[in-house]
Amino acid sequence: MAGLPKIPQRLFQWYCNPLLEEQILGDLQEQFEEDVESFGRTKAKWRFTWNVIRFFRPGIIKDLGGSTKLNYYGMLKLNLLLAFRNFKKHSNMFLINLTGLATGLACTLLIYLWVNDELSVDKFHDNDDRLYQVMENLHYSEATQTSKSTSGLLAKNLAKEFPEIESAVSIAPPFLIDDMVLTNEESVFKGIGQFVGKDFFNAFTYPLVEGNPKHVLSDRNSIVLSESMALKVFGSVDDIVGKQIQWESEEMTETVMITGIFEDVPTSSSSQFDFLLSYEHFLGQDDTFHEWGNYGPYAFVLLQEGADADQLNKKIEGYIATKGFEGRRLFLKKYSDNYLYGRYENGRLAGGRIEYVRLFALIAIILLVIACINFMNLSTARASTRMKEVGVKKTLGASRNTLMWQYFTESIAMSFISLVLALFLIVGALPIFNDITGKAIEISFDLNVLLAFLGITTLAGLLAGTYPALYLSKFNPILVLKGKRITSFGEVWARKGLVLTQFTISIILIAAVVIIHKQVDFVQNRSLGYDKDGIVQIVPNGKAAENLETFINEVKNVPGVQNASAIGHSLVTSGFHTYAIDWEGKDPNTPVRFEIAEVTYGLFETLELEFESGRSFSKDFGAEHSKVVCNEKAIAAMGMKADPIGKQFSLWGEEEMEIVGVVKDFHFESLRQGIKPMIFVFDPEEADDVVLRIEKDREIETMAVIQEFHNEYNPGYGLEAKFLSDDYQAQYKSEQKVSTLSRYFAAIAILISCLGLFGLAAFSAERRAKEIGIRKILGSSLLGIVRLLTVDFTRIVGLAILIALPLSYLVTQNWLQGFAYRIQPEWWLFVVIGGLVLILAWVVIGWQTFKAALINPSEYLRNE
Amino acid sequence: MSRTNYLGEFEELILTMVLVVGDEAYGNTIVKAIKGHQHREVNLSSVHITLYRLEEKGYLESSMGGATKERGGRKKRYFKITNTGKALLQEMKDARTSLWKLTPQLQFKTV
Repeated sequence: MAGLPKIPQRLFQWYCNPLLEEQILGDLQEQFEEDVESFGRTKAKWRFTWNVIRFFRPGIIKDLGGSTKLNYYGMLKLNLLLAFRNFKKHSNMFLINLTGLATGLACTLLIYLWVNDELSVDKFHDNDDRLYQVMENLHYSEATQTSKSTSGLLAKNLAKEFPEIESAVSIAPPFLIDDMVLTNEESVFKGIGQFVGKDFFNAFTYPLVEGNPKHVLSDRNSIVLSESMALKVFGSVDDIVGKQIQWESEEMTETVMITGIFEDVPTSSSSQFDFLLSYEHFLGQDDTFHEWGNYGPYAFVLLQEGADADQLNKKIEGYIATKGFEGRRLFLKKYSDNYLYGRYENGRLAGGRIEYVRLFALIAIILLVIACINFMNLSTARASTRMKEVGVKKTLGASRNTLMWQYFTESIAMSFISLVLALFLIVGALPIFNDITGKAIEISFDLNVLLAFLGITTLAGLLAGTYPALYLSKFNPILVLKGKRITSFGEVWARKGLVLTQFTISIILIAAVVIIHKQVDFVQNRSLGYDKDGIVQIVPNGKAAENLETFINEVKNVPGVQNASAIGHSLVTSGFHTYAIDWEGKDPNTPVRFEIAEVTYGLFETLELEFESGRSFSKDFGAEHSKVVCNEKAIAAMGMKADPIGKQFSLWGEEEMEIVGVVKDFHFESLRQGIKPMIFVFDPEEADDVVLRIEKDREIETMAVIQEFHNEYNPGYGLEAKFLSDDYQAQYKSEQKVSTLSRYFAAIAILISCLGLFGLAAFSAERRAKEIGIRKILGSSLLGIVRLLTVDFTRIVGLAILIALPLSYLVTQNWLQGFAYRIQPEWWLFVVIGGLVLILAWVVIGWQTFKAALINPSEYLRNE
Repeated sequence: MSRTNYLGEFEELILTMVLVVGDEAYGNTIVKAIKGHQHREVNLSSVHITLYRLEEKGYLESSMGGATKERGGRKKRYFKITNTGKALLQEMKDARTSLWKLTPQLQFKTV
């Protein structure tokens, strides 16, 4: 018998209406066989092919589109109906699923909104792709440090010397800017000001309502206000360009002219400000920033269109080195990348906020998976009750595909119902979420968000439906209808495995939360080397700023104030620093960074810093301007081993400074950092933050008295005072945010997991009701039955604990590496966490179990 | 004769052939019969299409035959004329005859 040519036959089978296929193909084959007889094989093949082509005509070709769609519609409708009936019939399970999925979805979508918001920060500038920040890598003996601060003259000189740069902008760094106010004859307005170079509006995109972006900042005495600042000061934004206004900082009072108004800075900008002043003011404050050796200002460059950033990078790398500072290497960093990728370790990019973005994206996925697992488990567990349905359907001709679609319809319907509930949850939780994250996220249904929401929901539906669909549609109808149990080992294991996964993940989350919490707690309460409680900082203004010494002396007399002094350096973060310190035997190729704190009399006494050796600044010794006090790290950095007191070094290449005292190291930065070398110079002019020590336990009364004193002493100016401990807390804001947020999410994860466990326990108690009845009749005790029902779940949760605890230890160790000072989590902490989870699981299961164990056996057995 | 009862020339040919071939009427035998009686080559596809159309119109009925070895085990679909079909053929033949009666005697003249 001759076989038909394969390709045309396939073609025919592809297009032919299946109802006609057999008879036609039969006829074709008959003819083909005759043709082989009469014409030979080759020609017969051609004739066959020709016939196949001739058959390609309406009436033979199978139906396309039209009626097919109608069928799907009918099926979809039926499937939805079945889904809803099922929800109604098993309303308990439905509610468990709904709660779990809706909570999971709400968290996931909320995190999506947050991630989206984070990723969009600083991306709004028109020239985003050409906007770079010039940063420095400082190579010194033991490590490399990366700094945004650079020399004050850098931007201007780069723009002059490199044609690839279209414009360059210097911006004074926030940590060097004092609080500023604007005054308008009688009223004082607070606001965040920045000193920026004249090309600011060319490089960055902050649209101007009034004024020409090219010229608004070209004059030294110009100021550009934000719309809301203008409204605050003048009550309107019209006709104010050209008006004069005064701005004041601690050191300066100047009259400037309004040259423009910009739209309020969008929340998606990492830099927030209310008004902009010329950079010349900042540069003009003193000579400090005319020195290549000093640090402070930030430099931004806008490249020419088409300029190659990598090439320019190579060209500018050694630029600062040509000014006599070996070891300082410049590099370009895309401005919009700085927000998310801002952390450098040893000169290399080590992450930044992106880590949190990734962490929370991961948490979002985890929560969704945990919620989906509930659905999977409950659907497959319930499968035994639906086996007959599957059997009947299959017997009536339903294919596996159709059945799978039915279950997918069910799970997707489920996830969309959950979406509705989730949206309500999101709307309710958004204010709290914004409060914790410090964002202003709103639900705006633009296309992207809409697509993402629908996409995530569908994905959740598919994820939740895959396993049940594959599993349920697999049943062999004959076995099912004969009433044989076909619960396979595989299925039971799969379900146990899923519960195991859920609990493992939840426990890891919980352990991580506990560790994060303990670490944050630890760094906040660690002794800093001095007693930070009771320290109050006052920003002097008005009369106080004019004569600080008098003010300090007066404030000391306020009852409750134990001591007072002033310092120019922050006590919670690094600030003014220099590399321009030379001492005998210094290796010129390894610059060392020294923090410089300008202080006045009594600072060490006020902070109660301990002296290692030497003395504090004192009026008894006459002129102190060429004397310094160092911390231990500074002495170590300069390699002065024995008795450093009386030794000298040069500061900024000229002044010879004599060391008169050494204070013990204390923390003036977040505990992420180790302690850095610091020198204290006696410079009351620059020591502009008043520091008070007040009596403990009487803080509130004392603050009220200080307020009173200030009102009297300095009428017209508000008292700006804050507790150092508040400032100190603020350093760990991002850790605290993560700590708070992850606490919520971990709680939700364990709740959803327990919900699933609850459902499974309820189900198994229900399924085993008869067994329990018989056992009770045969004399089983209450405890025996409880044990019977809990032992399985206990094993799973126990195993989850065993797997999760070592994993969580590893994960948290990794996170703790980011701190110079960290806790060593105790082993019993993990045991406690494990124990608590186990108890929680028992409580959840126990409710169902006791209910089942307390049944009256006759109720369940009387129908047999 | 109403429009519904209208048959095209090819349809009429196929319907007649089903009658002629009798019990063995399916795609291939009809093609062969047309070739044998009318010396006319027709394509199998046209025959099939026409058979289905006639069945739909109710002039033919069909049934699947048993499997045979020759056709790769595939069954044949046999067609049989229905009474309506027979009546229609009769009607068409009568109509033609009555028309012929009205025509003058045909004369083939030698030119």
